[in-house]
Amino acid sequence: MSDDDALGVDMHRPLGFLEPAPPAADQDLLERLLEGRLEPASAPPGYGGLARLLATATAPAAPEELAGGQMVMATFAAVMRSHPPILSPRRSAVSSKVFTMKAAAAALVAVLSIGGIAAAATGLLPGQASPVADQASASTGADAAAHGLGEAAVANLGGTAQAGSTGGQGRESAVGPDATGAAQAGLCRAWQAGQGADHGQRADSVAFQALVDAAGGADKVAAYCENVTAANSAGAHGQSQGSPPSGSAPPTSVSPPSSGPPADPGPPASTGAGGHGQGGPPTTTG
Amino acid sequence: MIGPLFPELLAAAQHGDEESFAVLWRDLQPAVLRYFQVVTGEAAEDLAADSWVSVIRGLGRFRGDERAFRAWVFTVARHRAVDWRRQAARRPTSSVPVEQLADRPASDDPVAAVLEAQSTRAALALLAELPPDQAEVVALRVLGGLEVAEVARIVGKRPNAVRVLAHRGLRRLARRVEAAGLARGVTR
Repeated sequence: MSDDDALGVDMHRPLGFLEPAPPAADQDLLERLLEGRLEPASAPPGYGGLARLLATATAPAAPEELAGGQMVMATFAAVMRSHPPILSPRRSAVSSKVFTMKAAAAALVAVLSIGGIAAAATGLLPGQASPVADQASASTGADAAAHGLGEAAVANLGGTAQAGSTGGQGRESAVGPDATGAAQAGLCRAWQAGQGADHGQRADSVAFQALVDAAGGADKVAAYCENVTAANSAGAHGQSQGSPPSGSAPPTSVSPPSSGPPADPGPPASTGAGGHGQGGPPTTTG
Repeated sequence: MIGPLFPELLAAAQHGDEESFAVLWRDLQPAVLRYFQVVTGEAAEDLAADSWVSVIRGLGRFRGDERAFRAWVFTVARHRAVDWRRQAARRPTSSVPVEQLADRPASDDPVAAVLEAQSTRAALALLAELPPDQAEVVALRVLGGLEVAEVARIVGKRPNAVRVLAHRGLRRLARRVEAAGLARGVTR
């Protein structure tokens, strides 16, 4: 594009001011840099600084980068409430652990409410009847439970969503169910479900870093999550139990410097199903 | 990357589960925000938030695995960036000197700020100094973690053109960094 690049890939400028041309890097090296597969320490001469630069650019999230979470989650709740997701025919093989938990909850409710009657009427022990009931309610219940919990969550959030979308300044005052709290529980489920798999990688991932922070260390995550999920399943709609107080830390002053309309993306719940311009259609890539 | 749990989290989020969506958001938001910091500069936070609104609205109709999800989110983000640039072309520019973006004022050189203070913002500001097409491709590949073919689809170029742009961008950055390092005697 610009001057020096136009000269061609390996042609170094004869007189670059102070610019020592790095050795012609082979494509493989560049690809490894692009994919973050090159440790700065093992970069060849001329590329160590670049490797460190790229590592710095992809450093784990800073708290202020996640500061907009509450607003985004409020938007999520509001959009999900006003435009319930239109899903294509349910995929049969969503053997989701997330759903499984919910299905289990639904099944439990079903057993509790029906079990007594059934047992009374037929004399069957609930235990004997359960394999069948389990199957049945697991498959039908999964959906119901998912929807049910989803709606409950949305209902819980109703207030916040409104507070969040009425004005930009509501951003910080709209506390409510608190995204960190909710996220924590989700992360815990995810973490627990994946335990035993590849944790090293897991603990490193940006998403789980927050969890480690909240727990106060990588080795404390298990215990921490036990509490979170125990509390969650104990009180049916657990996530309203409030978030760990530690979490709500940084209401940082990251307010965007630009003027313009308040950072708030506007009332997402307005009306239009047609409102999302070209951002819309998800690519169905393979 | 979230990994094996992604399909479950996505499915739950599509059913309205807030916690699951929060996990998806936390995983990608930093990358999205940084992408905007490279390609649009100061409007990054607003544009990232706008992008998520679009993602949320389209979420129910998304089909695909985690790679495809990332690619879709960045497709949405790029639309925002393109719109923004179009509007920015009609605005008077007020670009902030790179030097002011360093998290620590100690350095007079952004390269030094990156290398010494490990300032992510300064690193992004250096990426932003690249010619726009190089900056965008490098940002999508490095920050977005996307592959050549995915980036090619997103920016509407041929894979080979994407590869060349990314390599040129890296070489240029390497020169920039090494030159600054030599000048300051901190190179290795």
